[in-house]
Amino acid sequence: MSRWRSSYIGLATISLWLLVGGGLLGAKADRAEEGLLALYNFCEPSGPIIQDISGVPPSLPLRIELMQRVQREGSQIKVTGDTRIKSLALSEELVQVIKQANAFSIEAWITPGLKQQKGPARIVTLSRNGSERCFTLGQDGDAFDVRCRSTQTNANGIPSLGSKDFSIRPELTHVIYTRSPEGQLKLYLNGALNHQGHDEGTLQAWKTNVQLGLANESDGNRAWKGTYHLVALFGRALNEQEVAAHYQAGSQALDTSVAPLLVRSPEARFFDQEVAPILANHCLECHDSFHTKGGLDLSKQASAMKGSKHEAVILPGDPEGSVLWESVWHDDMPEDRPALSLEQKQVLKRWIEQGATWGLDPIDPVLFVHGHQNQENWVRRLTREEYVQTIGTTFQIDIRRQAMDILPTDARADGFSNTAYNLTVDLQHVDAYAELASIIVQKLDIKAFAGRFSKQIKFTDNDMGALIQSMGKWILRGPVQEHELFALRGITTGVAATGGSYEQAIGLVIEAMLQSPRFLYRFESQQGDGTRWPLEPHALANRVSYLLWGSSPDAALVQAAEEGLLYDSDRLKGEVTRMLEDSRAIGRSEAFLIDWLNLNRLNQLSPSAEYFPHWSPQLAKAMQEETIAFFRHLVWEQKRPLHELFNARFTFLNQALANHYQIQVQEELPLIGLQKTELTADSRRGGLLTHGSVLSIGGDEASMVARGLFMLHEVLRGVIQDPPPCVDVTPVPTGSGLSQRVIATKRIENKSCGGCHSKFEPLAFAMEQFDGLGRYQRQDRHGNLLREDGALHIPGDSTQQPYATSLELLDFIANHPRAQATLTWKIIQFAMGRPLTAEDAPAVEAIHQASMEAGGTWASLMTALITHPWFTTIQTEQPQ
Amino acid sequence: MTPRPINRRAALKGLGSISIALPLLEEWCFPALGSSSETSSAAIPVRSFNLFFGLGIPAPLQEEGFDGVLEPLKPLRDKLLIMRHVDQVRCDQSGINAHFDGASGAFTATPPQGEAKAGGASIDQLILRHHYPQGQPAGVAGTVVAGTFFRRSRVSRYVHSYRPDGTVAATMMERPRDLFDRIFGQVGQVSGQDAQQQHLKRSVLDSVVEQYKYYTGGRSPLGTSSRSKVADHLDRIREFEQRAFTLHADQADGPGRPKPSELLHGGLADPGGEGIDITLDALTTEWRLMADLYATAIQMDRVRFGALTFLAAGERIRLSGDYTYMGQKRYTFEDSRKLNASGSQGCSHEWWHQFNEKKDNEALRAHAHMKMRELAYFMQQLDGPDCVEANDKTILENMLLTISTESGDGRHNDVKRELSGVFHAITGANGRFKTGQIADLKSEGLDVYNTMLRGMGVKARLGPTDRESHEVASILA
Repeated sequence: MSRWRSSYIGLATISLWLLVGGGLLGAKADRAEEGLLALYNFCEPSGPIIQDISGVPPSLPLRIELMQRVQREGSQIKVTGDTRIKSLALSEELVQVIKQANAFSIEAWITPGLKQQKGPARIVTLSRNGSERCFTLGQDGDAFDVRCRSTQTNANGIPSLGSKDFSIRPELTHVIYTRSPEGQLKLYLNGALNHQGHDEGTLQAWKTNVQLGLANESDGNRAWKGTYHLVALFGRALNEQEVAAHYQAGSQALDTSVAPLLVRSPEARFFDQEVAPILANHCLECHDSFHTKGGLDLSKQASAMKGSKHEAVILPGDPEGSVLWESVWHDDMPEDRPALSLEQKQVLKRWIEQGATWGLDPIDPVLFVHGHQNQENWVRRLTREEYVQTIGTTFQIDIRRQAMDILPTDARADGFSNTAYNLTVDLQHVDAYAELASIIVQKLDIKAFAGRFSKQIKFTDNDMGALIQSMGKWILRGPVQEHELFALRGITTGVAATGGSYEQAIGLVIEAMLQSPRFLYRFESQQGDGTRWPLEPHALANRVSYLLWGSSPDAALVQAAEEGLLYDSDRLKGEVTRMLEDSRAIGRSEAFLIDWLNLNRLNQLSPSAEYFPHWSPQLAKAMQEETIAFFRHLVWEQKRPLHELFNARFTFLNQALANHYQIQVQEELPLIGLQKTELTADSRRGGLLTHGSVLSIGGDEASMVARGLFMLHEVLRGVIQDPPPCVDVTPVPTGSGLSQRVIATKRIENKSCGGCHSKFEPLAFAMEQFDGLGRYQRQDRHGNLLREDGALHIPGDSTQQPYATSLELLDFIANHPRAQATLTWKIIQFAMGRPLTAEDAPAVEAIHQASMEAGGTWASLMTALITHPWFTTIQTEQPQ
Repeated sequence: MTPRPINRRAALKGLGSISIALPLLEEWCFPALGSSSETSSAAIPVRSFNLFFGLGIPAPLQEEGFDGVLEPLKPLRDKLLIMRHVDQVRCDQSGINAHFDGASGAFTATPPQGEAKAGGASIDQLILRHHYPQGQPAGVAGTVVAGTFFRRSRVSRYVHSYRPDGTVAATMMERPRDLFDRIFGQVGQVSGQDAQQQHLKRSVLDSVVEQYKYYTGGRSPLGTSSRSKVADHLDRIREFEQRAFTLHADQADGPGRPKPSELLHGGLADPGGEGIDITLDALTTEWRLMADLYATAIQMDRVRFGALTFLAAGERIRLSGDYTYMGQKRYTFEDSRKLNASGSQGCSHEWWHQFNEKKDNEALRAHAHMKMRELAYFMQQLDGPDCVEANDKTILENMLLTISTESGDGRHNDVKRELSGVFHAITGANGRFKTGQIADLKSEGLDVYNTMLRGMGVKARLGPTDRESHEVASILA
């Protein structure tokens, strides 16, 4: 018996405060808790997982096999058809505890669906199959029947203890069965003793290869139909007073029903999905917090409702009286821009008519770039890097060289190369996957590998089937389905029929698995009722593992998933902490960095030889390595908050890079490899924005447009629309008296251009003294003096922030909530493989806040993200 | 130097030793599994391709007909319906960019949904799904997307075939060798294996196919988008299966693949938007090889749907070299020198920015004329005597080829005119559409495309479902 479970048994508290999902829900009930082993109140809003809310580790969550035969109705589930509801893992701990106590109690608040059910139909069962059990509470005809295996019964728990006839009616019923250490058996219905008996035997006959189940036998064929309100198991016999108290407490005593996760009001959703995009894309260019044209700021609820400097523009319930709708209806607004479509006008009218309910506040235009469609359910193909890492984890084989050579490059979309919708597959992929599978199998010691999963080297159905299931679960990152087993068995029987060897058969099976969708894609069950459902255990493990490592789960994480431990917030945190200690976590974070800053761009950098005669590919390589080494040191060795990436006063240099940057160092730096170098104020440098790898984004001419847009998009999560088709976007060349700043200032002062350019070009002013490859200079090649002062506008702010030096700007950015939050957003976009939308905003903001409160480090962000319900659930789709 | 026209077969056979053995033609004449009854009965397959060229033709120059930059299309005029005054203003929303969004609108008539997503399906993909609901016949490759281009900051600049969910329909083949491998190359490494090994490898693939089928079927746990993605993968596997186990090229005559491309590709081809230097000879030599390969693939019925791109939207090249047409020197490209600038400011793109209908626009005209010459080159490969099909029409006449581009006007004083009058041309699609005309449609691109879909017998429509459509009956035969 485990010590931790026994310690819980010793606790005796009458008031129960439930901790669910890491939050204190505070459902107080006059119920006994002593000896509580498992407790189900069926209050999950949706999905196939039924949480064990006992708080007693290990948690024993149940899974509904066929959701279409179960209806969730508030704090109850109604089983309407034949399905199985079973614990995710074997219930070994439960068995051990009860065996040691030689006593237990089963409690169920149920409403039988039929007066007569046969089998007995399983209501609550701890069993292996139809003839091997520990106990079963069932309905046999119109009576309850409890089978409990002991040393005096057979394996099926017979003789059983039944209730009096006609005791079952299709109404809310409270049933408790208790067995005392002395073998006293009692069956209570609705608080009163109904029947009792005695068993001379002990529970030492119980086996541990059983699963806790509801509504059916573990292997099916004994379905029970009815409604569950509450089910509890205790490792002791409840006494009569406790039984009566539980009955008096009622079936709702432990109701922890909450609003479904992450669901917003219909009115707020309408605003977020229909109204806000119109305001963001057509109105905020002039009427945001910064450009309050006419005194009107439509980006915030309060200011929008207040109106312009002349009048209210939105009168809830009265569109005809609302200037906002009137002006768009008559095409007076947007001024000098295409009129809204009829559909858009009708949306605004309907919104005002229905009371002008606001949603996300303030409106952040970046949330509406990608519309409001559900973008979550794009199955994610493994990227090249993930493929390599997954092969490494699965087989301990390094396939990097071959994979990078054969597999097509993953194209970038929306700022990252792992954007799911863009991870397409062509013939070249299929060919490459087949070839790589063959190479991997050739590299593999098949016998040794298969030996990890089975010692039975036989072609027989049972042995080969067991091997495929066991090995397949590891390779395919989840249980092998029956149809997959059949398909894979076809290969082995084919080999056997042609006289092939066992190793040959296994090798071909592995080849097939490596080309299967289950391996090449990260599958998550996406079918449901249209609400968010908890991820299946293996899917959750995969999501965690690919986020932290960019690879498949290790054995420990798989085991935790199979035991249902990942549904326990503390255990999940523990797994995150453990996995962050692994070097793969560093690699994954660096993969984010490389993708975010597009550092691979430097591989193609070919600056003008006229302007940059000393440039070399080695210098570009050093710039890449500088940024990666800086990140690794700050994030992983110093474990500093992520926002210090923007202003930390050190970097990593070799001598060539130091010379390029014109940084004086005390001692000669290495020619190969980089060395940490503290930066002084003289260098004007600090943080990755002053790295050559980032500054070179501006091209040969150190374009303020390119640098400003980079800052706006990647650092401040701002949105700027592309220039209209009429605009000549060819960069204006610098010249004498015409520095980049002068050119930028002219654009900003231009009536047509300034509205947008004022939002991003000033972000680059502080970097004017760094040339196209990041060299510090006081004047450009035309002799124009360069400056580092300026004033910038942060998206969402109402004012500009002046700064005198580049370092001052970097400090300002590092400490600005927008920049700090942007890092979180970028990392989460990378984690989820898709751009984030307004639907995601509340959860992402909550994750960011939780991370910041925990230090704002990579580890705190990973923990906050992984333990948030938004991450552990999936938006399901209703079957078409 | 004027590039010497490349005979398709000569090119393929002359580039070393190409493994397209003619017996393959017979092997590829499979019963058309899953093909439409229309296809089977007429013996002329339904085919649809999108042909894109970058930077467009300003509307005033289109008015000159075949006397202006459209001159190279004149020999094909009976096979084409030139469509003027087609507006893509739906894609021309406030503050968006014609190069990006206009290019995404070509063949879809909708603005993009993201950096790598169109607003919806392209014409060819809707036709494909309607006429081949169970997939294309065995031996026919899936959608093939290829092109010669350099600017690549956003996908819709150069990819012009999109699935209904807006994602790209196929991976871009930007090198002739890639296209060759995609269409004709050996895959699967099974040719050197003995019968038993091949049998076992086949069983592996059978198992893989079964798994993909399950996850695209009714019991799949995946949602709609994901299932569609896995279904695409399954299509590619089926093609792989055909290529690896059914189609065996004659290696004896052996010709190899095209030589590696000598042009810049990948990130090197678009160094930070600064543009690249390239000679006309180098550009057209590679493009024509690409056009030859693509045309050959169509002629051999290896491809029925896809897109071909000649220069990207907003392309940035500094072109040099003499330009001749019909044996006469017409112009000398010297973009950088004539613009007196290097980098992006010295690119041919600038001629479009400098377009002024009151001026001669000589450089722009030469560039646009050259592009028409190259498009015509591709079309001619499908219009020769060896391209005549059972109904005595050429492949060019029987297929639907839609030609379009990114922007229409080039004048920069009115936003709404940038995507008004976007050049379009289509072929007759086996008598479905009028040809031999220059039609001034004065219609929205969405209506034109949807009329084309109707003409092709496709029920699905592009664009918003609640929008009132306006049929452009004048294009229907």
